[in-house]
Amino acid sequence: MTSLKRSYASSANPTTTLSSKTYIRTLKSGRVQKITREVYLRQDIPCSSKLCATCQNIEPPGFRSKKLPAILSATPSGTKQYPQGHYLVPDTNAFLTAMDLFEQEGVFQDVIVLQTVLEEVKNRSLPLYHRLIALTKNDGKRFYVFFNEFRLETYIQREAGETINDRNDRAVRKACAWYQQHLQSATQARGSVRCPAVVMLTDDRDNLRKAKTDGIEGADIQSYVSGLPDADRLLDMVASGREQRVQGSQKAELFYPEYLSMSAMLTGVKSGALHQGIFNVSPYNYLEGTVHVPAFERALIIQGRENSNRAVSGDIVVVEVLPKDQWKAPSSKVLEEEDLNKNDNAENEEEEGSAEGVVTEQERKALQDDVKRAHVKNAADKPQPTAKVVGVIKRNWRQYVGHVDRDSVRSSSKQSRVQQTVFLIPMDKRVPKIRVRSRQAAELLGKRVLVTIDGWDRESRYPVGHFVRSLGELETKGAETEALLLEWDVQYRPFPKTVLDCLPPEGHDWKVPASLDDPGWSNRRDLRDLLVCSIDPPGCVDIDDALHARKLPNGNFEIGVHIADVSHFVKSGNAMDQEAALRGTTVYLVDKRIDMLPMLLGTDLCSLKPYVERFAFSVIWEVDTNANIVRSDFTKSVIRSREAFSYERAQLRIDDKNEQDDLTQGMRYLMMLSKKLRAKRMAAGALNLASPEVRVEAESESSDAMDVKTKQILDTNQLVEEFMLLANISVASKIYSAFPQTALLRRHASPPKQNFEELANQLKVCKNMELRSDSSKAVADSLDTCVDPKEPFFNTLVRILATRCMTSAEYFSSGTISESEFRHYGLATEIYTHFTSPIRRYCDLQAHRQLAASIDYEPLHPNLQSRAKIEAVCKNLNVRHRNAQMAGRASVEYYVGQALKGRVVEEEAFVMRVFANGIVVFVPRFGIEGLVRLKDFLDIKPQADSSDSREPEATLDTADYVLEVKGVDGGKARKVMLFDKVVVRIRDEVEESTGKRKVKLELL
Amino acid sequence: MAPYANLPLSPAELSYLYSSLAQDPPIRPDGRSATQFRPLIAESNILPSANGSARICFIDGTEAVVGVKAEVEQTHENHLVAQNDTRDGERTGRPDPSSAGSWFEISIEIPGLRDDDALPVFLAAMLTEALLGDGELTLKLRINNRFHWRLYIDVLLLSQPLSYPLPLLSLTTHLSLLSTRLPALISEGDEDPLFSDDWEASTFLYTQPNSNAAGKLHQSKPPITLLVISAGENIIFDPSRDELAVAEAVVAISIRQNLLGHMEVVALRTIDAPSRLTASGVPRSLDATTGTNASVSNADAQALREEDEGQSVWRPPRGGINRAKLSQMMATATMENGIGQEVMGGLAGVQGS
Repeated sequence: MTSLKRSYASSANPTTTLSSKTYIRTLKSGRVQKITREVYLRQDIPCSSKLCATCQNIEPPGFRSKKLPAILSATPSGTKQYPQGHYLVPDTNAFLTAMDLFEQEGVFQDVIVLQTVLEEVKNRSLPLYHRLIALTKNDGKRFYVFFNEFRLETYIQREAGETINDRNDRAVRKACAWYQQHLQSATQARGSVRCPAVVMLTDDRDNLRKAKTDGIEGADIQSYVSGLPDADRLLDMVASGREQRVQGSQKAELFYPEYLSMSAMLTGVKSGALHQGIFNVSPYNYLEGTVHVPAFERALIIQGRENSNRAVSGDIVVVEVLPKDQWKAPSSKVLEEEDLNKNDNAENEEEEGSAEGVVTEQERKALQDDVKRAHVKNAADKPQPTAKVVGVIKRNWRQYVGHVDRDSVRSSSKQSRVQQTVFLIPMDKRVPKIRVRSRQAAELLGKRVLVTIDGWDRESRYPVGHFVRSLGELETKGAETEALLLEWDVQYRPFPKTVLDCLPPEGHDWKVPASLDDPGWSNRRDLRDLLVCSIDPPGCVDIDDALHARKLPNGNFEIGVHIADVSHFVKSGNAMDQEAALRGTTVYLVDKRIDMLPMLLGTDLCSLKPYVERFAFSVIWEVDTNANIVRSDFTKSVIRSREAFSYERAQLRIDDKNEQDDLTQGMRYLMMLSKKLRAKRMAAGALNLASPEVRVEAESESSDAMDVKTKQILDTNQLVEEFMLLANISVASKIYSAFPQTALLRRHASPPKQNFEELANQLKVCKNMELRSDSSKAVADSLDTCVDPKEPFFNTLVRILATRCMTSAEYFSSGTISESEFRHYGLATEIYTHFTSPIRRYCDLQAHRQLAASIDYEPLHPNLQSRAKIEAVCKNLNVRHRNAQMAGRASVEYYVGQALKGRVVEEEAFVMRVFANGIVVFVPRFGIEGLVRLKDFLDIKPQADSSDSREPEATLDTADYVLEVKGVDGGKARKVMLFDKVVVRIRDEVEESTGKRKVKLELL
Repeated sequence: MAPYANLPLSPAELSYLYSSLAQDPPIRPDGRSATQFRPLIAESNILPSANGSARICFIDGTEAVVGVKAEVEQTHENHLVAQNDTRDGERTGRPDPSSAGSWFEISIEIPGLRDDDALPVFLAAMLTEALLGDGELTLKLRINNRFHWRLYIDVLLLSQPLSYPLPLLSLTTHLSLLSTRLPALISEGDEDPLFSDDWEASTFLYTQPNSNAAGKLHQSKPPITLLVISAGENIIFDPSRDELAVAEAVVAISIRQNLLGHMEVVALRTIDAPSRLTASGVPRSLDATTGTNASVSNADAQALREEDEGQSVWRPPRGGINRAKLSQMMATATMENGIGQEVMGGLAGVQGS
């Protein structure tokens, strides 16, 4: 028997440029496929070293037949070990553990990123991959991606029985060896003596050993970095390896149960025995988390450290429901980690661990109280299903901002460079403290620092992480602002050059072209004669919208809403568009605005400034005297705004009887029509919701917060709002009819009934009021009845609470949801989108493009035709939108705190929530919400002395929402009920352990 | 009618062929002995994306390719025979042989024939029968109580079916099953199966010889189906196209090697011999062209032919095959160092590239 055919699979050392690789892929559906890929190997992939002349010649020309310049320097920097200079070749783990280090300016240069490594990084962590890609694009860093898997000399086949990791390690070594030899011949060809070393950076001992036998230079990160200047600071940025973490604690007891294997979890979730969801920690009680799973209406409760089993807020976890006898009512206590575990020792896990296990004594006691009450107590809070985490599908760890716990630092002398383990307390209360090893602990005290979690092993009570960098002193404006931008993942770096290159070259001198033959004028209506004006908050520079109204001869009105034509300047798919899509929205902080688009566009070229001509996208309606739309029309246009009013000035002008010019008259028409529109909307069941809005008035020069004011709402605010809503609704139905599959819309799902249950019950018990939640109309109507004649603010409070019961509105692509689900619950409209603020929201920009395509102004870009792409955009926008709101709120909160600095104020407040050991109050004047602990109930003590930290006894009646507090030392008892009006003393307090300033509330 | 059945041989040629095969020892047209196989060309692992594959080319020009693909499938409850729950409380499911036939699927494609024509359907049934008769394959396909592999065995005849293609297809299937590998399981117990992504780690469906060379135990092998004919008192293996045309009986014997290394018969079928369709010869006395006896009645002519009993001219064989002959065929096929082992040994030597 003979074989006629050449064997297909190639041998281990390919000599031809054709090879193949075979692997097995398991699909989500459970199908298993054998995949064979052909690999075409090349010999013209350059080494990109400036030393090498041959590679520059063989490299195939790229775009516009330009050759890429060589990246790696001819004279790379040397160290003690490699005086002749060196190129670094890190392996995957080096990037995974020390990405922060690589990102440091001027530390690592001339780095060869192998394709093998890059792909492995991508598989292991997408965020790190993006950071690595950003590094390779950074010119100064000189990071070169070498496609070793496609170069004939460096390609290797997986050997029989070789794990994929071993194979990749071998590929790295092979590439190192090739580089070494290649550079040697290159330097010989140049006739130079100095040949840079090629150093493989890895922490894998086995790999290092093999490198040694192969004659390849190798180093582990620890020893390599130790040879660099400023090694202490740099070493802190390296994630602690597992070996280090476990070191010296072999006998350590395992605190946490082991996770199930991935396949066991997937099987369990599929069969319904286990459940998958996102782990959320309660903001009031760090030991209690919830996981909402599709199988149940209510979220499952996860109590205690052992049950939450190393899950950090935001992780995607798999949980198992506990037996019924372990079900509990949600905790009615406020627990903050800082208060309970002050005395933890970061350094000595073993001793402390054996004494206390996962749950410290205090924690256990706090939980016990809960259980007791849950057993005694009655119908009002029935035990709810609890669960425990059995595995983590995906970690959602990010970088956390926090500060070093002063108590955990042993030697605080700045000179001592001893490595010690300290606790870092994250700003986000839901995240556990992070154990960090550092040599610069003393220096970082009292600073805002950025850390990353590296891992959380079974034998460690807290997660282990490493420092990334310091943001600056606590409470300095710069550090705090950066901290909250980082916390909410707001992209605040300046726009890169590629983005700025997309701006019109004329810069600020850009003008609407004078000649009507200019291509900019094609299909654009000339509306410069209309009496258009804009109404915005005072000091607004990015003016998105302007309005006009005039009476038509037939008695109807013509209304125009003119929106800045941003899509004229930002073309779909270019760098600026991509950046805007990533940022999603402009973020407004108290003293800072982080723009979605570069300043030039946002505040000048697009902004509908008064007295100048601007491109606009106009929606023009003809409405009858009852504000019914007779006809609507969409067009690109050129307008000239006659005036930019602030809300107040517009109001004054409308009210001033002496003003009789056409512009004022138009505004009066607008006002009249807007009231009718509003009445109609309210009749349809639109909700008038409230959120605690305050404005911080900053003194312009120092921008130290001076005063806090709640926002005032004028009729003119509502005027603008009504017409913007109308425009959004009109545009939404227009683009939906034009693009039924890909229209970018916004919806607000009706909240599930049980969301309102608690609030309705509270209102019933405490105030004997009724909150119906059958429809938005019912909610709106019943909210109107929730009025306490003595307390005008009470209604607002109820509205704030009702708002929290609702789901949040979201962007979506019309093809993903059935039409009946398009409803916007809060606005009570059938369809809605965002169209009116393209300068500050990306959705609006997309809506502009879709609208332009639907009126045949321009063809629709392919990005806007693919449902998958629109969906991805929506997903990002939803996250960005929420983060921007959160960042804005956090900023206000910070400034309110600053405004209160050094002051003691007594203010009225309302009780929002009662716990067994405190109450949460809302202070309308400052819009702050805060916890008052039992020990801060001053009036129950004979001497109002807040330093007395004994906890008074109290009983909580969960059925009636009443907290009864017994007097201390013969002081009088006190009863606090939900929604009560109380007086609190607000002052700021510096926390001893952290040096952090907090707003402290005390009950008078 | 299948192309192999309709041979342009005259009754005289047929008669000559038959009588030489019926001699003791038989004289075969290509000079082989009665149990000798024709040489063949074989290779395995020729399709990179299949789990196993093989190609065999017979010397007469017929050639076949077989690809085996495996897919994970959920096992329905009734596929498993729960074993005595009460005894140990642990339920160990075993595949129920009666329904496990659906765990693999053989489809045969023959150029010029539709897939629902009798020949491919019958051939597929015979190959399936042999694989099922072994009973071991379904055990090998079990992953855990809830999942099993489902094999798709695609058989493609590349050439025209010049002779009866059963042995060719069976040998190719055998070879491809020998080279079939299944991804290595990394999950445990009855979890949803997860597999190692390394193709090199995958395991052979039928263990390879070198893996347990140390132990005395032989590995079992997938069945092969051999074609045997009888001519007179002789039994002849691997008949060529011409020989088939004069066979008295054609039998397909499926044999396999069990764990002890012995050959055993797993299935047996007689096949409609193509010789029955040949035209019978006309006795000289009835030949109209010679004009001697022009006016013989139909009944007389019939009687004359019967009397002749094929002694003087060719008459298509009739009747079946007796039991003694059948058992002789089986014994020859499964004999120690007999033809069965020879063929399997030969195929085992094909280098999986």
